[in-house]
Amino acid sequence: MTETDLDGSGHETHQHAGTAPMVEEVTDFEVLEIALRELAIEKGLFTAEDHRRYTEHVEQLEPAAGSRFVARAWLDPEFRRLALDDAVAASREMGIDWLHPTGFGTPSDFTAFEVLEDTPTLHHVIVCTLCSCYPRPILGMSPEWYRTPNYRRRIVRWPRQVLAEFGLYLPEDVEVRVEDSNSKHRFMVLPVRPDGTEGWSEEQLAEIVTRDCLIGVALPKPGVTSNAVRPVHPAVRPVTSD
Amino acid sequence: MTTDHDIASVRVRTLERIVEHDQIWERMAAEYGVTHAVPPWKSSLDAMCDALDEEGAALPLLTRRDDEDRITREVYSSLPHPENQLVALAHSLVARNVIDETELAGRLATVRARLDPGGA
Repeated sequence: MTETDLDGSGHETHQHAGTAPMVEEVTDFEVLEIALRELAIEKGLFTAEDHRRYTEHVEQLEPAAGSRFVARAWLDPEFRRLALDDAVAASREMGIDWLHPTGFGTPSDFTAFEVLEDTPTLHHVIVCTLCSCYPRPILGMSPEWYRTPNYRRRIVRWPRQVLAEFGLYLPEDVEVRVEDSNSKHRFMVLPVRPDGTEGWSEEQLAEIVTRDCLIGVALPKPGVTSNAVRPVHPAVRPVTSD
Repeated sequence: MTTDHDIASVRVRTLERIVEHDQIWERMAAEYGVTHAVPPWKSSLDAMCDALDEEGAALPLLTRRDDEDRITREVYSSLPHPENQLVALAHSLVARNVIDETELAGRLATVRARLDPGGA
């Protein structure tokens, strides 16, 4: 990013060309988050040190680890076998320790982790029907739509229809399996390596393994390196009796 | 203790005023030319949820998430994410008598005065 001397004074203005670093106004939501946190700490719901450590953990989560994991599994048959037999051990080889993901313990993330291997006739997609359990140590924070009742309730009932809403149209001869996560059991999809990637390096392959591919709502494709922007709508046929 | 059944029927006017003020990130970011997709308080909110889940006594994980689903749909449907996640958490803590609304309103004023002494 280019810093610009906008006022011509020669002094650093901290203004940037085309984009600003922050909103120069204290918003109600910012104030609410701080007020809520301070009251929770004062009431002993958690400590300031707990909060600082969780914030640090949350901020270092990102989906790149999952992309590299899949790229390596595509290139290295031994790693692929390990990933399918013992995904926790395979993750450790990628620098992710599921048993101590934060270094100070997160029981809600302490988990059995399993890699779901797609084939040309079998497609997996993950969900958490109960809340929003997600393989955070390897995929980072879940996207907004993954948390919504719309996705959580409908993907298990009408998986092909919901996948089509993501632009993923699967032929009838491809079986779809929806895997339901919970607080102790998390999943990640190992997609089929697409045609047109012969001879690619691990880095090249990792670039096309987007977060959506690892959830199972998209397939990796040469040239596609980002998730589709997806607006969130209320459910057309909401399920209210669950 | 407010029951699960009536959690969404509790009115929290302090939060309603925040919603009416409409300082949502999408609008504020556009106004100031900021390109971050999420507001700067999002990771702190996520950490607060993690810390509450870890403790589990005041607001267990499933209660928190069930409340969030219901309150965002039934009470704060006009708010986008993650503002709706934050306000739903506050609503849940007030409606379940973990935090008193008067106490929350007082703290909002204190924090506002601290961060923005010029007044907003």
